[in-house]
This record gives sequence, C-alpha cells and structure tokens, in this order.
Amino acid sequence: MLNCKYFCYLSFFPLYCSKGPPPLQRLLCTCDHGNTNRLADAETIFALSSGHGRCGVAVVRVSGPASLSALRSMAGLKHTPPPPRTALLRSITDPRTKEVLDRGLVLWFPGPHSFTGEDSAEFHIHGGPAVVAAVLQALGNVAGMRPAEAGEFTRRAFQAGKLGLTEVEGLGDLIHAETEAQRRQALRQMSGDLGRLYQDWSSRLKRNLAHVEAFIDFSEDELIEEGVLDQVDQFISELQSEVEHHLQDERRGERLRSGVHVVIAGATNAGKSSLLNTLCQRPAAIVSPIAGTTRDVVDTALDIAGFPVVLSDTAGLRDSADLVEREGVRRARQRVEQADVTLVVVDCAQIPLDQPTVSFLRDHIKTVLPSQDPSHTGTGIILQMFIQTPAQRRQRLRSDLSSWTAPPSVCCVSCLTEEGLQHFLSQLQLRVQCGDPLSGGPSLTQARHRSHLQLCVSALKQFRRYRDSDLALAAEGVRLALTCVGRITGRVGPEEILDIIFKDFCIGK
Amino acid sequence: LLNLRPLHSSHLATQHYDVIVVGGGHAGTEAAAAAARLGAETLLVTQKISTIGALSCNPSLGGVGKGHLVKEVDALDGLCGRAGDWAGIHFSILNKRKGPAVWGPRAQLDRQRYREFIQTELLNTPKLTLLEGAVDELLVTEASTEGPGHHKVTGIRLANGIHPFSASSVVLTTGTFLSGSLFVGCTTSPGGRIGDAPSASGLSHTLKDILGLKMGRLRTGTPPRIIKDSVDFSQANYHPPDSQPRPFSFLNLQTHCKPEEQLPCYLTYTTPGVEQVVHDSLHLNCHIQQDTKGPRYCPSIESRVLRFPGRSHQVWLEPEGLSSDLVYPQGLSMTMPPDMQLRLIREIPALHRAQIHTPGYGVQYDFVCPTQLSPSLQVKSTQGLFLAGQINGTTGYEEAAAQGLWAGVNAARSALSKPPVVLSRTESYIGVLIDDLVSRGVTEPYRMFTSRAEFRTSLRPDNADLRLTLKGFEEVGCVSLRRYKEAVRARDHLQDGLAALEDLSLSSHSWRHKLPNINMSQNKSTVMTGIEILQYSEVSYEMLCSVFPQHLSLYIEFSQRIKIEAVYRPHCDEQRKEIERIQKEESMVLSPDIDYLSLPVSLSQEVREILDRIRPSTLGAASRLQGVTPAAIVHLLNYVQPTGHKEKRNYKPQLQDQKEEREKICLKNTQ
Repeated sequence: MLNCKYFCYLSFFPLYCSKGPPPLQRLLCTCDHGNTNRLADAETIFALSSGHGRCGVAVVRVSGPASLSALRSMAGLKHTPPPPRTALLRSITDPRTKEVLDRGLVLWFPGPHSFTGEDSAEFHIHGGPAVVAAVLQALGNVAGMRPAEAGEFTRRAFQAGKLGLTEVEGLGDLIHAETEAQRRQALRQMSGDLGRLYQDWSSRLKRNLAHVEAFIDFSEDELIEEGVLDQVDQFISELQSEVEHHLQDERRGERLRSGVHVVIAGATNAGKSSLLNTLCQRPAAIVSPIAGTTRDVVDTALDIAGFPVVLSDTAGLRDSADLVEREGVRRARQRVEQADVTLVVVDCAQIPLDQPTVSFLRDHIKTVLPSQDPSHTGTGIILQMFIQTPAQRRQRLRSDLSSWTAPPSVCCVSCLTEEGLQHFLSQLQLRVQCGDPLSGGPSLTQARHRSHLQLCVSALKQFRRYRDSDLALAAEGVRLALTCVGRITGRVGPEEILDIIFKDFCIGK
Repeated sequence: LLNLRPLHSSHLATQHYDVIVVGGGHAGTEAAAAAARLGAETLLVTQKISTIGALSCNPSLGGVGKGHLVKEVDALDGLCGRAGDWAGIHFSILNKRKGPAVWGPRAQLDRQRYREFIQTELLNTPKLTLLEGAVDELLVTEASTEGPGHHKVTGIRLANGIHPFSASSVVLTTGTFLSGSLFVGCTTSPGGRIGDAPSASGLSHTLKDILGLKMGRLRTGTPPRIIKDSVDFSQANYHPPDSQPRPFSFLNLQTHCKPEEQLPCYLTYTTPGVEQVVHDSLHLNCHIQQDTKGPRYCPSIESRVLRFPGRSHQVWLEPEGLSSDLVYPQGLSMTMPPDMQLRLIREIPALHRAQIHTPGYGVQYDFVCPTQLSPSLQVKSTQGLFLAGQINGTTGYEEAAAQGLWAGVNAARSALSKPPVVLSRTESYIGVLIDDLVSRGVTEPYRMFTSRAEFRTSLRPDNADLRLTLKGFEEVGCVSLRRYKEAVRARDHLQDGLAALEDLSLSSHSWRHKLPNINMSQNKSTVMTGIEILQYSEVSYEMLCSVFPQHLSLYIEFSQRIKIEAVYRPHCDEQRKEIERIQKEESMVLSPDIDYLSLPVSLSQEVREILDRIRPSTLGAASRLQGVTPAAIVHLLNYVQPTGHKEKRNYKPQLQDQKEEREKICLKNTQ
C-alpha cells in the first residue's frame, strides 16, 4: 500500500477534479490558499486519549479529513453513513486483515462541530493493552493516517478557533503533563537496545544525506567524486532491508512494562530499599545498614489503587570510587530523568538540629534532583523515621513541617512501625493518578514508531526510484527518511547536515 | 555612455526623504531601487558613485542555491538578474544532470558592463536620487510610543556635512566597510575594499554605543588578479560555456552576449609546492593567524591547505570581462605578503610564469548579530532602521541583493505607513535566508545552499515568478505591471498546457503504440493521462507535441516548464500539507514584549533563556528553535496575538477587502 503512495495520491485527487483546489494552486504549493478548503488537505491524526492504566474503557480519538473513511472501514459502516454525534455499538476490524479486534462504541463528529473543528471520530474500546495496541496499529495502516504529535489535538483545536485563550490556559498544564509523559516514555524506550538501533539508523542516515547534499551543492565546483553516491546507494538498500526486517519481526525488541514509573531516590542509607520492601510487602531488595548496598536498579511491578505502577529502587546517590557503584549511581540518575513520579527518601537523623528543617529539605532536594523542577507534581519527599528517633524529635519535625508548602509534599514514614504509611500511600495514589500519562503508554509509542518506520521505508524507495533521473527528488527521499527516524530520535536540522559536509569534504570555491 | 553628474549635498533641494539607503553595493542598489519602485522618495548615499554596482570579488553571479536567489530577486523586479543577462560573458546551468529543483544558473560577468547597467538603471529610476558622500552618523531620537523599540532613527549626517538629511527609514548596507580593515601579510590598513577610502567610524559607534546593538567581527578575502597574457592556458582544462546561454531574468528571452561571443573558463589544480609556500609564509600571515571567523565554504587557500593537507585543490581561471586583460583565480583567496603570493601561484602549472596585477588581501569587518532583526529586516529595538547584506553576517552578492531588496521594500512600506511584509521560508529562498538569519543568527559568514531549504522541490528556479511575482505585484507593490502581465501569461499557459495534457487520456497500450521508445512495462494496462506519460524521464513535451500537435503546440513555448511541473507535481502536493501547517504556525504572531523569563507557566529555564534571547516573531519560528519542546510550544499558544482568530471570524468581509485592496493596487500600478 505504502510503496505506491504517489500513485494512490494521484488516484485520490484526480488532477482536475471539480472539488479540489484550482489546478494552479496545486501547481504552486506555496502561493495564497485563501480560497481553498484547508481542512481537506490536512493530515489525519490519531491518539489514545484516555489513560493507559487498567481502565475498563479506552478512548481512541481520530481527527482530520480521513476520519470518516477510517471509521467506515474499521467499524463496518461502508454502506450507511453514521449519524453524527451518536454512539453506535460495532465490531471493530482491521481493514487490512479483516480480523475483528474488539467490539465497542464508535462516534462520528463531522466538522466543524467537534473538539478540533475538523471531522473527528472516537473509538471507545476495551481498555486492555493488547486491544488498544491492535486498534492503534490498524489505524496506522489506514492511508493518510499518522499518530498525533505531542499536543497536536489541542493545537488544531486552537487553530480552528475552538479554544479561547482562557480555555487554553486551563489546558496548559494538562498538556504539559501529556507531552512530558510522552517525552519520558520516549526516553525510557530510547535507553534500551531499540533506542540504540534507531540512533544508529539516524546517524547513518545523517551522514549519507550529507554526502548526497554535498554532491548536489558542491560537486560542480569541487572535487567530489561520483563514488560518493555509490556508497549512498549501497547504504540505502541496506537500511531499507534492515528497517523492513525490523518491521516484520513480531518480537519487536524488548517489551516495556506499562504503568506509571515511580523511582525511589536519595542519599545512601536513607532507607530506600526498606521503603520498596514495605510497599511491595516482600523483601524484594536487600536491606542492610551498610551504605551502598543497592547498586543496581531493582524494578517491581505493583498495583496501587488499581493503577499499574513500576516501582524502582535505585543506588544511593554519592560520589564513589567503586566502578560498580558509580555505574549504579549513573543508572539511578538516568531513572530519575525518566520517572513519572520521584520519591526522595531522607533519613530524618540526617536533618541537622541547628538548621531550619524546611530550608534543609529544599536544599537537599536540589542536590538529589539537580536537573528537575522541584515543583514538578511528580516529586514527593519521604522522611524516613527509624525506631531510634526519639518521640521529642518526631514532634519537633512535625511542627517544623507544618509551615511546609507543597509541592513537593512531605510524608513522615517509619517502615518498621508502619507509622504514617497510610497517609503516604494515599498521597502516592494521588500522584499516580495525576501523573497518569495520557498517551504515553508503550503500546502507543510502539505504534508511533512503527508508523514512522513504515514511512521511512517508502521514503527510501523514493530515493532508489529517482536516483538516476532526478537527484533532487532522490535526495528528498533521504530527507524524508531522516525526518521519519528523526521523529523518534530527535529532529535533525540543516545546520547539522552542513557540519558533516564541511567535516568530510574540502569545500572551498 | 553614462551621464553621471556627481551630486553634492548642497545641490539637493530636498533634505527629507522617505527612505535613505547607505551603501551602493548589491544590497544597497537593490534596496534603493525597490524602495523607489514602491513609490518612496529615496536617496542612495555612497562614497563614490563610480563604484556603484562594482563586483568587489569574483566576476560571477549565481550558482547552486545562489542562482535561486537571483531568480527570486528578478521575480520581485530586482536588478541583479537583468544586470547579469546584460553583463554575462559565459553562461552555464550548474547541476544540469541533477534535477531542475537544484539547477544552478550561473554566469561569468564583465565587470564594467555590470556596473554600467546598474548605474544606468538607478539613474533612470523615478523617485531615486544618488548622492556622493560618507555617512558619519545616524540621527537617533526616543522611540515613538506607537510602536515597540527603544530608539528611532530619523536621518543621517554626512562627514563634514552641515545639514542633516532626515528620513522616515534608513537602510544600512555597509558591506565590509563597517570598521573594516584590510590585511596583506602583516600589514593592516583601515578600509573595506582596496583602492577605496575607509568609511567614517561614526556609524559603528552609533550602532554599538548609542543603539546598544550586539556586534561581531567576521573576515573574508579575495585572490590576487593575474595578468591574462602571463597565463599558460595550455596547461589548464578548457571549460566551455553552455552553447545556448539561458538568461536569468523572466523578462529576457536571450542574453546580451551572443552565444558565440562567450569566453571560456579554465580549470587547474594546486600542487605540493603550493602547500610548501603556505607553510613557509605562515609566520608572515597575520590574517590567517587570527581567530576571527571566516567562511568554511569560501576559505582562503591557506586554510584549505592547513585543514585538508596533502590534497590537490581546484583553481578556476575565470575571465574578468570581454576586453579585460585580467584573470580571476577562483579558489586562491590569500593574505600572505605579495612576494609570497607570486611564489605560490607560480607553483601551479598553468601559472608558472604568471604575473600578479593586484595582490590578494583579507578584510575584517563588523556585523550586527542578525537575531536583533525582525523578519522585515528592521532592527527590533530601533524604529526606522533596516539592515541588509554583509552587515547582517552574510557573504555573497546574491545573498546581499536578496536582503537589500526585501529591506528596501519594508523600509518604503514603513515610511509610507504600510504594515511590514514577510516572505516565508515555505515560499522562497529569500524567506529561508532571512528566517535563518533572524531566528538562528550566524557564527560564520552565511551563504545560501539548496540544502538549507526544506521545501527544495517546491522552491525551484523555474517557478520563482509564479511564487513571487504575483505576490510582489498584488500584495507588496514592488513589481511593475509589465512583469506582472508576463507572469500571469506564464501562469495561464502552464495551467492550460497541463489541462490539455490531462485531457489526453489513453490506454497504456495506445501510449506504447504512439510513443514506441517509451520505457513502459508491457504488462501495464490502464488509462493514463498525458501528465503521467510526461513523468517518464525519456518523454519530453516536444515528443508529445509531435503526436498531438493540435492539442499541445499552443504551449510549446513553455515546454520545459510544463515537463518540470508534471514531474514535480506529486511531490509538491505532498509537501503542500507540511507547508500549510508551517504557514498556519507562522500566522500565529508572538507579541514582541513577552517576558519569557517570568511567564507564569511551567517552562524550563533553558527554554525560557532560548526564547528570551531569540524572541521569535511567530509560533512557527519558535518551534524551529533548537531546544524548544512541543510542550513549550503548546504553552506559548496562550501568548499568540489573537489576530488569526479575527481573520477567521471575519473571513468573508476580509476577502472582500483584500480584493478591493488588490484592485486598488493594480489600478495604482497601471497609472
């Protein structure tokens, strides 16, 4: 389907169809489009709009001109146009394989009466990760559809004049949470083998694009031999088969645990592992009075008030000469970067008597989380109290903390007596709920990656198709391929390509 | 030939102008001509009227990327394309085998003809006055409260001048003359070009100390000029021009120079001896020892040899003019002492007995960090002050001309109380150039490459008129009626020609029968249109025309353009979605007075600092900044000026207004 993208395109938009924009407007991509229907040309996007927790119903939202065709082909509505804004119970099928994926509600919102102002559709399906992933993947296979970028639904709604400024203001933090959750999810994904694979593709693509661009911009005046292009040819066919192979591989690399990622961090011997063991009610991590007992990250899957949580205990943060411990600290810091919720554990015996508790804690959190905004809603401080702490001292700490203004919030917990544990758990539950990434689930991330990689393959085919007849169009294929991979690994600007050109070639007319 | 009356300030009746342009190089001449075309009373001040339009460095125009700029300047009715057609003595389309989107129209120029053309053109431009003099200072007052900014420029004062000249807008195009110094060996002298007096130092002072602009320093250089008779051309490779020279300008059907009168270029190479001389002279070469940023892509022979040792580098021997007895050695820019320069060039086979007419030299000069400019090339903090050319950190004639034209347009619009106009990077290389400058800044002299344009397949040299001439006439006012009519004619013919092709709908079998040479699979059996057939690389419009003369011969004049459109159309359609998305974001204007450091939203300090430093003018510009996250962009939606919404809500009435406005402009332009 995708490899004949342009032919499809031609047949979708007959060149002089009466409904399309006037021919010249399409001839000149860049001139004034004042009287063309903008909506008809926008891309169609989709995303999981509900949380990825263990919820009964998941909502997948679609917006853009292809919404209706997606709805029709997936909900078996080929012959009857769906009534607007009405819930219909339908079997939802993959339009390619005809496999029934789920049975759920579908809704059709013709523009402009929708959230984004565009034609939109919603699929209300069962909340299981497998169902959600299958529906997302099927949507990704419908022509003209792609996963939404961070915040894209809101941006479209704003551009369509559907959101007033005050409404945007209200949505600001919600979207921040969404995009941040996506970013953290992507970070988690990128730190593994898969991430390294994508990074490698990206850097090889960059280099090869630079060589094509050098050949285009400089070969007339400089000594750039045509052999440069032969190497590019070879690379492009290699990459194409690598990506195709990767897309066919059903294992698809490592599976990521779904859930809110909660990381326990803090200085050595603060009692992090004790907290982990208390929360999972089993000795998951070794606990000892020796500083630096935990050296690697210990992950445990938990269920907190119905929300899946991945709880990670990390090595105590300190400068160490020990190579293994240093690696542990590096991993701990990396986990903190990727965490949805960070719990900073402080041993209350470490709080100096001669310093105000509040200012000590504020400073302490800065040393533990140097790169994080301490007011981040996902941060919390746990004051670990041991049995040895005298009652008088506990009293004093509590009164000091009465002047504390959250966030981050502070809880006093004793893992031995379980004093304060209930309060802490209810606080944690709040964090887990509100830190619930709206669309950062691994299944969606994987669906997104898949869609970008499929586009990458068709872009690489463009290079090979035009290689001999039009190098500008061929280079466009490499550019598109890099853009697609760049949507996973990070955008690559023209300056970066020029840097490679000037490093690899002596350009100097 | 030319009736040049040197004007002096005392001869001028008027002391007030709408626009004053300082500088007579590529940026200054385009700026002055463009401002006058918009109907602004314009004064161009330059040190020597006789050097207006001088080619200070290479005797050539265009190339890959640069040729795109020349076509666009021409499409906006600028001078350099027509001047190139008049003065060209060796035309060639570079990248001819690589696809029309990256073709690079280029010409070697006759220096004298080029200068004469520009000077004649300016002298015959209504509303434009030329004045010889050195500008010593800008007249600055408090900003007017109606607009943003801290200062307002109200005019200029000449060195030794008693009377100031007042102006609503001033365009500075000082080139390498802003605190310029020349380097040969270890000798330094003030100046911007050899043989010309240095500029007064007052301007640099005004910009730095009074207006508080952030400045930087860049360097460039030029090669020695060689006496033609002393070159042994038998030892170099002969490079002929295109046998059918193709003019730059959309208005010209042919070049001034006849095909057979064109002069050739020659190619030769450096030897290990050249590298030796560079090393031997290093201690005598102050320019190369300094760390002022020079261009990576037009480096001196010294830096090429030092960065890529052990290689042979190309040297092009280019003619300087039909009757000139000099040769320009492209690739041999150098700053070593003259005796070493002679030693160096004689290490090159074709130059073994060459004689130097003028030694090469380096120039260092001040530039204003261009992130301080708005996309209309106005200094953000100073009302009425526009900058164009090397003062903005660019290098090259074409880059200067493009900015000059756009600064002149906006200077005139500002003086005539019209809103500024912006060219998007989605519609032109000029837009790419300006957007890169104002939103990214420069760390080295900026030169245009096609790889900088994201929408390269849409922004082609062949369609610059369709992209810019119509807009230039209808919205900007810088295009003459004659050119507009020509562009409309081209547009209509292309449109009709493509429609005629579309109507030719035959089975693939009949196509194979009619065009036996077509490389179409025998298995293919479908109905295909003429456009689809024209997309085959071996099919030309002429071939189709010989099969269907009654349908197609009417448009044969545009055969090449129709072929290009047919091949590129599917790709341009694809790009159009992305282009529209960007244009939407570019229509979302961020207010210039946002205090990013204290915005009450959760933005990281890093993002705040980037936004504060660059102060992007639109959401689109903000989203292209390195380090600005999608979350930050969503937050910025709060601070978009609500003009976009108004437009939407009053969609129809506004269209009506626009139509009336256009009709008014058309009427005005025809008068």
